[in-house]
Amino acid sequence: MGEEVKRVKRIKAEGKVVMDYSILTKFIYEKDSHTIDFYREKSSGYKALSKVLTMNPETIIDEVKKSNLRGRGGAGFPTGIKWSLRSKDNRPKYLVCNGDEGEPGTFKDRLLLSRLPHNLIEGMIIAAYALSTHIGYVYLRGEFAKEYRVLEAAIKEAYAARFLGKDILGSSFSFDLYLYRGAGAYICGEETGLLNSLEGKSGRPRIKPPYPAQFGVFGMPTCVNNVETFAVVPWIIREGAEAFANIGTEKSGGSRLFSVSGHITHPGVYELPLTVTLRELIDKCGGVRDGKKLKAVIPGGASSAILTHQEIDVAMDFDSLVKAGTMAGSGAVIVLDETVCIVEAASIILKFFEHESCGQCSQCREGSHWLARIFHRIERGEGTTSDLNLIPEICSNMAGQTICAFADAVTGPALSAIKKFKKEFEEHVFLKGCPFKINNGPNPNGEKELSNVF
Amino acid sequence: MSFNNQNIVVNKRRMYINYCSDKKPLENLEDQENLENQENQENQKNRPLKNKINIDGKEIEFLPGDTIMQAAERGGIAHKIPRYCYHPGLPIAGSCRMCNVEIEKASKLMTACSTPASNGMVVHTNTSKVQKACTGVMEFLLTNHPLDCPVCDQAGECELQEYNYEYGPGTSRFSETKRVFTNATTKRLSDKITLNMNRCINCERCIRFEETITKSYELVMLNRSWEKELTLSNYESDENDKDDEDKMPTKGLTSSYQGCLADICPVGALTFNDFRFQKRVWFLNRQPSICDACSKGCNIEVHFENDIIYRYTPIFNEKVNRHWMCDRGRISYHDVEDSGRITMPFMNTIDSHLHSVEWMTVLSYLKSTLAIAKKVLIILGTDSTCEEAKLFINRIPSLSKGEVKVCFYNGTGDVSSSKDDEKIDYLLQMKDQTANTKGLELLGIPPLETSYVPDSTDNTDSTDSDVVIYFRSGRAGVGGRGGLELKLKSSASLFLWGVFYKKELDKAALKQIVAIIPGLMTVEKSGTFINCDSLSQSFTSAITHKGAALPADVIFQIMILENRSAIRS
Ligand SMILES: Cc1cc2nc3c(=O)[nH]c(=O)nc-3n(C[C@H](O)[C@H](O)[C@H](O)COP(=O)(O)O)c2cc1C
Ligand code: SF4
Ligand code: SF4
Ligand code: SF4
Ligand code: FES
Repeated sequence: MGEEVKRVKRIKAEGKVVMDYSILTKFIYEKDSHTIDFYREKSSGYKALSKVLTMNPETIIDEVKKSNLRGRGGAGFPTGIKWSLRSKDNRPKYLVCNGDEGEPGTFKDRLLLSRLPHNLIEGMIIAAYALSTHIGYVYLRGEFAKEYRVLEAAIKEAYAARFLGKDILGSSFSFDLYLYRGAGAYICGEETGLLNSLEGKSGRPRIKPPYPAQFGVFGMPTCVNNVETFAVVPWIIREGAEAFANIGTEKSGGSRLFSVSGHITHPGVYELPLTVTLRELIDKCGGVRDGKKLKAVIPGGASSAILTHQEIDVAMDFDSLVKAGTMAGSGAVIVLDETVCIVEAASIILKFFEHESCGQCSQCREGSHWLARIFHRIERGEGTTSDLNLIPEICSNMAGQTICAFADAVTGPALSAIKKFKKEFEEHVFLKGCPFKINNGPNPNGEKELSNVF
Repeated sequence: MSFNNQNIVVNKRRMYINYCSDKKPLENLEDQENLENQENQENQKNRPLKNKINIDGKEIEFLPGDTIMQAAERGGIAHKIPRYCYHPGLPIAGSCRMCNVEIEKASKLMTACSTPASNGMVVHTNTSKVQKACTGVMEFLLTNHPLDCPVCDQAGECELQEYNYEYGPGTSRFSETKRVFTNATTKRLSDKITLNMNRCINCERCIRFEETITKSYELVMLNRSWEKELTLSNYESDENDKDDEDKMPTKGLTSSYQGCLADICPVGALTFNDFRFQKRVWFLNRQPSICDACSKGCNIEVHFENDIIYRYTPIFNEKVNRHWMCDRGRISYHDVEDSGRITMPFMNTIDSHLHSVEWMTVLSYLKSTLAIAKKVLIILGTDSTCEEAKLFINRIPSLSKGEVKVCFYNGTGDVSSSKDDEKIDYLLQMKDQTANTKGLELLGIPPLETSYVPDSTDNTDSTDSDVVIYFRSGRAGVGGRGGLELKLKSSASLFLWGVFYKKELDKAALKQIVAIIPGLMTVEKSGTFINCDSLSQSFTSAITHKGAALPADVIFQIMILENRSAIRS
């Protein structure tokens, strides 16, 4: 059975649950959903664009503000407000789509890029019009080879249909869209790191302020948004801001794509309103795999704090998750069942971060390395009790004092793991080894599976 | 004997021997206040500063666009803020996160180097919160640091040691194996610079220096995260060996300012080969001086012990060299100790050989020769100080009744006067490799007529002086063969006065030399140079000359007053 067939099968299996809220996913698994003809015929594609071209840019931004759309990239910053902070001088401005999707556990942008590229393109044209920008870049993660080809073809189609280029649809507005491929670094997903990478420099986050809105790519005002953020904009324009806001909570509008993975019966991408709780979400995905008990959930990608199985009655919107001590992040829900050794899971996450830090800030460069080493040592059974006190102290020295939020992202899983599963860490120390491996012999799935997850 | 740590009082101000001129506190507070007052007056004259920031209770005026660190610099209190990546001569990186300060009303600590100062801001540099953050950074930086201070050249002027003393945690909680790069302890980046990557703290000052000051882009950081490794970027691809990156030969660093890399590196990662393993820095005495290797006149500090010079380092001068100096100047101190340097009086006796003689012998000979000479030609090398030039102009006429002509001779490259002088690179170096051409010109001394110069196409024997004195301090005419091959009247006597080297005295010219009167080099004497931009800079002697050479004024004193007491035996 070919990979493609397998994938389609899986998609179909998930398809049943996906349709709950279908702003984006209504047609996502249908044949040819990535073509312009399909998009125009079936999902009223580019209708929003023709509507927008007669509107005042301010009205569009107000509309987006009213929709309570919040950035889907990680920080959850209200998109309308971001757009309204645009620089009003007459320097050239740029629009950048963050398609670097590097957060472990996240794969929703990838789906959008390969299945619904025109949603993104239309969204970007609308944003460009609202922000009076004439050049846009889509920064694609280097590993996205297929997505690159699909998007490239889609852009060609859009040019041919005169949605891109000069004098779009007979208006005096012009917009050019370029594709740019990264070279494979998680940190290029951070918006200023992305801008540096886009300029051809090494992908290192910049000191903020100045923010990209004032000093972005090539030193010009730049607006960076996530793929999903752009992709929902046409719907908001078409169906109205209120319809979108109504779906979500008071402060975060709309539905969101959740990339659900780990020990779940039906892993995949699910579109659900932001009012959904984590427990409901897990149930909708068929519950924990093989009838096992739930142990913990990473609710927003590898950089969010881990939630225990008692903490899953939390709504998946940005504010509720922050209140629960974690974050919504990129919407990647990683489900961990009772067979998982948290120390090992955290150690794998930290290994990722250890390698992906850009290495500018002393705390982040040395700290993520140090943490990864300690976790690895504990997992191997060489930890000491003093390590358990050391971890929170290292974290407190790292967090909040660096150029970008990466260092905080590292401390999220590390701190929450040791706080919430302290007993497990202690067991590792006292047993001088991993209890999961000591009890059951080496876990045949354990390490391999987890490394696949991350 | 009980030993209580608390009682040891170390005066940090005195201990301070960081020479990289980025935050040098002045030696005593009075000086500092004087300077501040001066600066303030100057500032008030030139540019009205209106914005005020309060740093540790001190109101400081700053320019719009200044960061907190720069404001602190204006106030003369920048040394209160620890830093690694910040260097006033380089663009801001804001990456080491060491320069934490607490700003009132700000929720978290900010980095002083990258946070813009704003009017009315109240900043504290030494709260417990700041201390804790800096301790954290210190601990992180030291986790993978080899701490091989006993064999590290930087020890004693190392900012890691420096700030560890002040903020460091004292003990390390890092119990993993330290990161060790392969073959990284002694990596030659060029014949001038050696890298020990294990000691690097990733401040990237070196990279920014190459990017913005020399624009040579020869250093890059390979990889990211904790595996970052400083590497040469100028790989020359080798046709045969394309796949094997490790084997690709590199050109190495090529800029003429490599020594500055060792200066700005806050730790012992980049070291200057010339100084490597020569001296522990705390033994060095320091004296500001002027580099005499070109007409730029970079401000330097001479580092020496027992009158032996170990290195020159640049000191900050906004108007001249800022923080930098070139490598040629930096190693020019070797000439002082050159084994071929003539430091004894010599006279040419009947057998056409130079013989070492007593000071009085040569001086009375000079005096008597001058007394009977009809025409005296004084050729001053353009490396003479203004004071020396004046001495010659004023004193020779009282020793000679003949006609005295004074002119200057440069003879480096094809420079004959300051008209020919020009920049030879993007930063500091000038074509004229002597320090005082402008000075002698401003004293009204004419250049030596070209026909005296050996390379001249004019072959006529155009000097009819019977006594020629060629005076220099070891730089003029070094490029050409100046002075020594003057076409003289066959009966004329040539006196060489100042700094000369044995290798220069080639045989043909020997016949004409009647005596060599050893003199002092720039670092051994005091004086004034006027640099290519007509800036007058005075200096005092850094070291005491070890041979028998005497300063020019003493020699004149002896000749005119017959005062022998100045002569050392
Ligand atoms: C370490 C780090 C990694 C990030 N990675 C991504 C990413 O892969 N994709 C993404 O869209 N945003 C990522 N972000 C968030 C971006 O910085 C930025 O907030 C986002 O692109 C803004 O878009 P939005 O407002 O639409 O969310 C990352 C942020 C950090 C701090
Ligand atoms: S926090 Fe880490 S990833 Fe972010 S800029 Fe600093 S070193 Fe780079
Ligand atoms: S760089 Fe500084 S701390 Fe490191 S070994 Fe050298 S002197 Fe010691
Ligand atoms: S070699 Fe020195 S100057 Fe360069 S990054 Fe390392 S510590 Fe900084
Ligand atoms: S000196 Fe400010 S961050 Fe390095």
